[in-house]
Amino acid sequence: MGTQAEFDQMIKSGELIESPKEMTPDYLKELKHTLIVSGDTELISAPAYYLAAKRAPSINAFMTGIAIIQDELAHAHIAYHILEELGEDQEKLIFSRDPKSFRYPYAFDVPLESWTELVVANGMYDQAGFCLLGDIHDKCSYGPWKRGLNKVMAEENFHLRNGRTWMKRISASGGAAKDELQRAVDWMFPLSVEWFGLPDSMKMHSTQLEYRLKGLTNDQLRQWWLSTVVPYCEQIGIKVPAHKEVRDGKDVWELDYPFPCEFDAEEKRWDFKQPISWDDVLVRWRARGPRNAEMVAMFQEEFHKFRKTHHKNGS
Amino acid sequence: MTERLWAALSEVQDPEMPVNLVDLGVIYGISESDGVVAVDLTFTAMGCPASEFILEDIRERLLREPGVSEVRVNIVWDPPWTVARMTEAGRDALEAWGLAV
Repeated sequence: MGTQAEFDQMIKSGELIESPKEMTPDYLKELKHTLIVSGDTELISAPAYYLAAKRAPSINAFMTGIAIIQDELAHAHIAYHILEELGEDQEKLIFSRDPKSFRYPYAFDVPLESWTELVVANGMYDQAGFCLLGDIHDKCSYGPWKRGLNKVMAEENFHLRNGRTWMKRISASGGAAKDELQRAVDWMFPLSVEWFGLPDSMKMHSTQLEYRLKGLTNDQLRQWWLSTVVPYCEQIGIKVPAHKEVRDGKDVWELDYPFPCEFDAEEKRWDFKQPISWDDVLVRWRARGPRNAEMVAMFQEEFHKFRKTHHKNGS
Repeated sequence: MTERLWAALSEVQDPEMPVNLVDLGVIYGISESDGVVAVDLTFTAMGCPASEFILEDIRERLLREPGVSEVRVNIVWDPPWTVARMTEAGRDALEAWGLAV
């Protein structure tokens, strides 16, 4: 490894980093952090989706739901596997961390309780994942991760399709089914918007961008997400609190509510009349939401139970 | 006409992998009579999570062909699909994507 300046130049020129030997300690730290967020997000989506997939309306729908969960577990595995190669202990990361220290979007802490909510998650949360991972796949300076994302992208496409197909179908059937869909969109849309984090105006410096661990800023990613979700919802007759404006010849997506604002996780309801600060949001995120402990326990508990009985029998 | 229908189905992509259904080798036969098209289709696995999407895509594409008024898809499991049923082009596509077949 050369000097910091040489390393920075290497990143800037678009070269790929292939092994820990080539990294500066700071790059390694930032890469690990980014991978943990990605791995935790994919991992926690499995129990979150499972709670709702159990309510699938047909065997075929159940199979699709389960296949999506299997994909998410595999995507988590890719991130944790790379972390292991970077010197982390995968088992400790997954099974020995405190639930509150998992680094996934707050949205997954709010329970998905019906097939309708699951397909909206496929249409909106997986679209957020698609934007974030698509950007990493496109720009990431770490070769092994960039290549690993090849297949991930194709599979996320399949999840999106499940979300969109079902949202369209439910909306077309009208009546109470459509009302339920609209209610799900009403609370899940703003949670997805929040997913992309602080606005660029408040985030002066991004080490991730500097190291090319991602290529787009939070606001650019949020705009990308809005540009796919808003037109689709409008097309299938579902209302969303955002609209398009043309500014300097460019499409800009504007939210129709104060961002950020107050959310009641138990009631799954936003109060658009109650703007809050980003500090308030960060407090809510750090405290985690209603299902955090339960979902982490879903995979941690059995691991430890199994381990205990095995040790007893073995010794 | 069936030649045209085969060409149409070679434009239908598998929902999970970047390969079309004809090159994937899941279309076992196509016949047509008075605008009614019958397709023999298999899946790569009995638990194929994308089966409903594949059926939808086949119908949607064939109904866009002039002269087609109805599409009947017959799902068959014999002979079972194996990678040997893929075309050379299908294999190349999946290999380029990173899947050894």
